[in-house]
Amino acid sequence: MANEEYFKWAESLLDPAKTWEKPEALADIKIVELATLILGPSLPAYLSELGATVFKVELPGAGDTMRSLTPFAKFFRGCALGWLKEARNKYHLAIDVRVAEGKEIFSELVKRSDVVVENLRAGTMDRWGIGYRQLKEINPGIIYIALNGFGQWGPYLERPSYDAIAQSESGMAWISGFPDKLPMKSGIWLADYFGGLMGAAGVLGALAYRDRTGKGQYIEYSQAENLMLVMDWTWLYQHFTGKGRGRYGNRDVSICPSDIFPCKDQLVAIAAATDQQFKALCQAMNQPQLAADPRYATHVARLQEDNAVALLGIIRTWAAQKTFAEVDALACQYGFAADKLATGKDHFSDQHLIKRNFTYTVNDPMYGEIIEEGIAPKLSETPGRIKWAGKPVGFDNEYVLKRFLGMRTDRIQGLKERNVIGKWVDQPPGRRPPEGWDGKTGLILA
Amino acid sequence: MSSHDTPVKWGDWIKELDDPAKARTKPEALDHISVLDCSYANMAGCFATSIFAELGAEVIRIEPPEGDPARSFSPFGYMHMDTGLGYLNEGRNKYHVTLNLKSAEGRKTFSVLAGKADILVETGMPGAMDEMGIGYRQLRELNPGLIYCAIYTYGQFGPKAGCGKADVDLVNQVYSGITSVSGERPDDPDHPTPSEVPTKQGNWMGWYAGGAWTAVAAMAALHYRTKSGKGQFIDISPAEAFGRCINYGLTYYQGFQDVIPRVGNYDVGVFPYTYFKCKDGFAFLSGFSDINWKALCTILGRPDLRDQYPTIFDRLNLDNMKQMYKEIEKWTMAHTYDEIYDAVMDYNKNVGQGVVVPGKISDPMDTMKAENWWVRQSFEKICDPHYKEMVITNHAWKMTETPPRVKWACRPVGADNDYIYNRKLGWGKVQIQTMKDQGVI
Repeated sequence: MANEEYFKWAESLLDPAKTWEKPEALADIKIVELATLILGPSLPAYLSELGATVFKVELPGAGDTMRSLTPFAKFFRGCALGWLKEARNKYHLAIDVRVAEGKEIFSELVKRSDVVVENLRAGTMDRWGIGYRQLKEINPGIIYIALNGFGQWGPYLERPSYDAIAQSESGMAWISGFPDKLPMKSGIWLADYFGGLMGAAGVLGALAYRDRTGKGQYIEYSQAENLMLVMDWTWLYQHFTGKGRGRYGNRDVSICPSDIFPCKDQLVAIAAATDQQFKALCQAMNQPQLAADPRYATHVARLQEDNAVALLGIIRTWAAQKTFAEVDALACQYGFAADKLATGKDHFSDQHLIKRNFTYTVNDPMYGEIIEEGIAPKLSETPGRIKWAGKPVGFDNEYVLKRFLGMRTDRIQGLKERNVIGKWVDQPPGRRPPEGWDGKTGLILA
Repeated sequence: MSSHDTPVKWGDWIKELDDPAKARTKPEALDHISVLDCSYANMAGCFATSIFAELGAEVIRIEPPEGDPARSFSPFGYMHMDTGLGYLNEGRNKYHVTLNLKSAEGRKTFSVLAGKADILVETGMPGAMDEMGIGYRQLRELNPGLIYCAIYTYGQFGPKAGCGKADVDLVNQVYSGITSVSGERPDDPDHPTPSEVPTKQGNWMGWYAGGAWTAVAAMAALHYRTKSGKGQFIDISPAEAFGRCINYGLTYYQGFQDVIPRVGNYDVGVFPYTYFKCKDGFAFLSGFSDINWKALCTILGRPDLRDQYPTIFDRLNLDNMKQMYKEIEKWTMAHTYDEIYDAVMDYNKNVGQGVVVPGKISDPMDTMKAENWWVRQSFEKICDPHYKEMVITNHAWKMTETPPRVKWACRPVGADNDYIYNRKLGWGKVQIQTMKDQGVI
């Protein structure tokens, strides 16, 4: 077991409490986002946590459709929860990019930025005159990523898509869930969130190239293709055996043992990926002879169907006589993998996740304390952070146009009068400032 | 319109620039970067370094002399030329060497390699590398620019970091919070069946999320290094990496002192937006906003449903969802998938008030047969020098300047010892033999 001194050192190096004393990795990077729902908006949200400045451009009035999406139509401090999490750290602008003056402002922003993120239907931006074809002329260093279901060309071009369709067309839904049930759609918008994350990786790859050459580029991105990439052994299995991959419930048929079992008081996941971990589990079960049994002695033997079923049965019987706390204590003592099925409530009070800034309290100037799934990677020199949670539609118009485009007050006024830029509407909910807003709090340069 | 008013169609124009068929003639984004990967029984690390390798980095996979146990991760134990299919898929473009880090000579060799690397990825128990004298604390003295990524379910600090439990995909999935909101709810709450339980993603989703965040964080750190010259230590928990993808767990609890219920294929924020059984398989249908719901009810020929559930508040009630689902399923069960798709697309095109989005729940066999993915080179057949012909999936990025590419699929254990140790350390036949004799490689 690792020594205490190592953990002290690691904590001193990584301690999230010191975040605000340290610089940000992407502090010099500006991103213009013209995107709705999750696939597009999550990408800049991830990069904003690492320091990028993000200008989220919405249409004046109702803005992003996502502002309506919240569980059971319940709004929290006036915000849709589906929208709130990926609104973090962004400057919120509302510009009508469909009119000439709006396009001009958008292009000016892009000229001064490093990355453009959009998730409109293929070709829409080009038709509007603010696509990659036009923007690379005014900013050859621009990294432009367009994310959608099926890409910018190919047989599925005309097809609209959603997260659930990427999950289903890729085959991801088919391989998830139990054989006696329908293919499983994930409980989260998997293709969107994981799509945005991998999109961010593509953007940073392009940035590494630009850091050396000054050259920007265009990245076309299909979220269905992204899920196909991560279906592990599916394609090779089908290629070599001619058999289709099925659904195996909670059992991992490529790592044994790995399954979810009922114990006395709740469900517990138990897994061992190496012979060493498996031996540890056998000792914990007080059945050390299993590790020497030829049916279970090697991983390849354990994975054979009959052996796997028998072994998982033994573990199931054992787990049924234990409480979760007992299994967990044994996993810690012996070194196999086990944990309970955490919920939002568990995360809320998990001191480990709180300490690590996963369970993150955002100190928002306008919305107050908002608790969210926060920072995933902990970087010692440039730790991630969340500065604010989100803003109403068009909230930062004046500040951004003045600070980043140097616009005079009278020009901004003219844009407002001509409805080129605008603010929120009161209905539908999710667009306006919270109840009781004083007309000033949170506004920059007000 | 005159000809200069009709520029090349967008799709054609961009395809000319980003078609992956041309990828192999173009430069690579990370071909100035060198990566050491000492992942052990952990696909999060392997996936992260695949990302680097497909973007052009030189990735050296370091395995113990007997090979990484991850090479045995394979469905039902199926092996292709002694290699499990999970590993075979993720050995992409990497040089595979062996090194015994338990020997002093092995650790010394490792330090020399790490002294010259830009990025290092490891998945050991926290502190294990440190204890061997080859952790970040020691390596940064040799190489201050090193970006050192440590992957472990419970991270490198915090109350649970020293718990001693192993890192396996399933446990990352359950700790992330996502398993508890995925899967079917019991039809009869008093008598749940064994398949009506919280359910994991079928793939190694926890590990993939961990690998993806590792790549994102390391490349952000690389950008920071170009200006500052400074490397850093990066601590990644695949459980947290996947948990960051939750729709709204913590804030929902903060706001309503409740957890998001598990609702099977429903979505607590959008209905209908789910999978239905049809005559010959399964179909996805959506129609959430008032106008799209109206469109769906029109296609179904069921204006009564629209009258019965007129607002999103009616449609986001779980009991109502069940009722609507049954009614919609009556229609889908009477049609084949193709009939459903055609009816919906015909409405979208010819009536066009609101949009209904249809989709197929594809068996991965059908996915692998669909022409679309081959035209776009999402699938590609490659002939690996050792493992011969196989099907791989390419990254979703179609990049105009530095597209990713797979050059070889994998390598056997220690296959690149001669080449890499010669190039990096100047070892020839004699030195390699000595190291073998001493059990170092």
